[in-house]
Amino acid sequence: MRLSSGAILAAALCGWSLAQPALTPAERQLNVDSFEQVWKTVRDKHWDPKLNGVDWQAVHDELRPRIEAAASMQEARDIMSEMLKRLKQTHFGIVPGEAYKELKQKDDNGKSNPSDGDPGLDVRLVDGHALVTFVTPGSPAAAKGVKLGWEILRIDGKELAPGLAKVRAALGSAMLAELIETRSVIERMEGPIDETVEIEFLDGNDRKVTLTLGRTGPRGTETVFGSLPPLHFWVDAHKLQPDIGYIHFNMFFEPEAVEAAMKKTVAECRDCKGFIIDLRGNPGGVGGMAMGLAGWFTRQSGLVLGTMYLRGASIKFAVFPRPNPFDGPLAILVDGCSASTSEIFAGGMQDLKRAHVFGTRTAAAALPSMFTKLPNGDGFQYAIANYISEGGKPLEGIGVTPDREVKLTRHQLLEGQDPVLDAAVSWIHGQ
Amino acid sequence: MSRFYVEKNIAIGAAIVLSLSLARAADDLPKAETILDKYVEVTGGKAAYEKHHNEIAKGTFEMAAMGIKGSLTSYRAEPDKSYTETDLGSIGKVREGSDGKVFWQLSAMMGPHLREGSEKAQAQLAGTFNAELRWRDLFKDAKTVGVEQVDGKDCYSVQLTPAEGSPITQCYDKESGLMVKQTMTLQSPMGEQTVNSFATDYRKEGGVLMPHKLKSSVAGQEIAITFDSFTFDTDIAADTFAVPDEIKALVKK
Repeated sequence: MRLSSGAILAAALCGWSLAQPALTPAERQLNVDSFEQVWKTVRDKHWDPKLNGVDWQAVHDELRPRIEAAASMQEARDIMSEMLKRLKQTHFGIVPGEAYKELKQKDDNGKSNPSDGDPGLDVRLVDGHALVTFVTPGSPAAAKGVKLGWEILRIDGKELAPGLAKVRAALGSAMLAELIETRSVIERMEGPIDETVEIEFLDGNDRKVTLTLGRTGPRGTETVFGSLPPLHFWVDAHKLQPDIGYIHFNMFFEPEAVEAAMKKTVAECRDCKGFIIDLRGNPGGVGGMAMGLAGWFTRQSGLVLGTMYLRGASIKFAVFPRPNPFDGPLAILVDGCSASTSEIFAGGMQDLKRAHVFGTRTAAAALPSMFTKLPNGDGFQYAIANYISEGGKPLEGIGVTPDREVKLTRHQLLEGQDPVLDAAVSWIHGQ
Repeated sequence: MSRFYVEKNIAIGAAIVLSLSLARAADDLPKAETILDKYVEVTGGKAAYEKHHNEIAKGTFEMAAMGIKGSLTSYRAEPDKSYTETDLGSIGKVREGSDGKVFWQLSAMMGPHLREGSEKAQAQLAGTFNAELRWRDLFKDAKTVGVEQVDGKDCYSVQLTPAEGSPITQCYDKESGLMVKQTMTLQSPMGEQTVNSFATDYRKEGGVLMPHKLKSSVAGQEIAITFDSFTFDTDIAADTFAVPDEIKALVKK
């Protein structure tokens, strides 16, 4: 879900420069209707009935005349965004209708559907540079010899740096920025399987290499969760070394698949020195799975990862211990693309002092939020709950700070190293 | 069978809070036992209930706001055995049950959970077959507390206090005598949740009027359960109510 929101926000940023045509009276009315829907939704659904101390009625009365007079879509969005900004909270935003179109048609020809396929690359932003961090075995990228640590400079002739700089400037230092920037790069590589994408890389010898790559279907198997569009889920669990258990999955979906992988790996790892859960790039998913995953690592009943606060209700993320759990050291790997349920799990296990967290600070995007369409065609994101980790801190806007911060470097990636994983392995062996 | 089955299903999820009308003076209200006994009478009578010794109910489970749908099968047998399996597709199966001694819930999403204390007492109450006939044994107190409106119709609000755990309030339509709403505080390690459930679409099954639609709300989530079929007094496999190994392992601890 976070993946989608990040994608939409990233696309939204691209749409801001579009010229704004004049509005018809009907369009003006739709903007007024949208304004009212946004205002009422926040009033009725925000977890805090006091709306963070904001006089919401006064905000309405002040801005209503301005929305009625708004002469362009952008002006209307700016007014609704200004209303939401008065809350001084994240996960409230207006997504231009163009953003949805942007996601569905990547270029002016309108041919691309970003969910069709990709060349088999995963990417992370390191100091503003888009570096290859994973090449799917057997993928078009692997066949053409793309290596870890290569920097992506251009995609289909378009230089990456200016676009990334634009996104970064718009988002500032917000932790969610890394997730959005990363998704914006990945989405530019996505498209129909029967088409190719031309990517210019900076290889390991600092030479520019342009490759035309085919696309393959997304890694994993298709899964459908509620109203979300189809997603592709994968899980990779094995013994990393003879004495370390390892599991890596791309989203918190398919609980039965994750359970089966955990059951097998934990059973085979009775004598292991440690266990690693790799949540790098995991944008979250079904929140309840954080509880189920935690249960593999404790025998103690009554533990709680944190509490979700809705209006008039709260839900504790209780841990239900599994039979014969793994008692040894547990390392959790995270990065700026680990969001939502990943943060709930990593932050909670860290607070309970049951795990040591490695990597870089998480996306700080842990508010349960929803997306809805407004009468004027724009999207509206709103949070419905606050989440406080067991240590008493909100994860939203703060994220999970690793016990040991380990950043990726181009040099280490080119050497085939994974410094975050290496640090976790070293820590386990030192226990 | 049990009208208190409502409690069991709301344990899975979902709060439309209807405003209470002004409570009348207690003297004006019928006694709780009159209302509860009338319910048994209007739904088929004691004999109709006692004719049955087990029940299989099948239906659907839906959280429309999230686009989540699933199927549900529930087995219940005298005196307090139960097993319910809700298949939520990609979320997996949520199973819960009891052999009359051990009360549990199991899902891939959250893991195995042994119900204890007040949560166990609540599950035991919900799992009692023909609880309608045994309310005098199951609750230490029952009193009529007022008149409420549900769907524009008056209903008598009856507060039932079990030996352990918080009271349950059930509302019985003034005219038909049918239970139309239930409010309870769900107990679990995830905290206490107020649950409001509404029972509609009463139709006769095995000689007893049963609600076929239950709409529950809890923590901002709304859940609709629709029962498509009820089967009574069939040979339910002996191991249906058996405690799963994952739960047995927790019991041994």
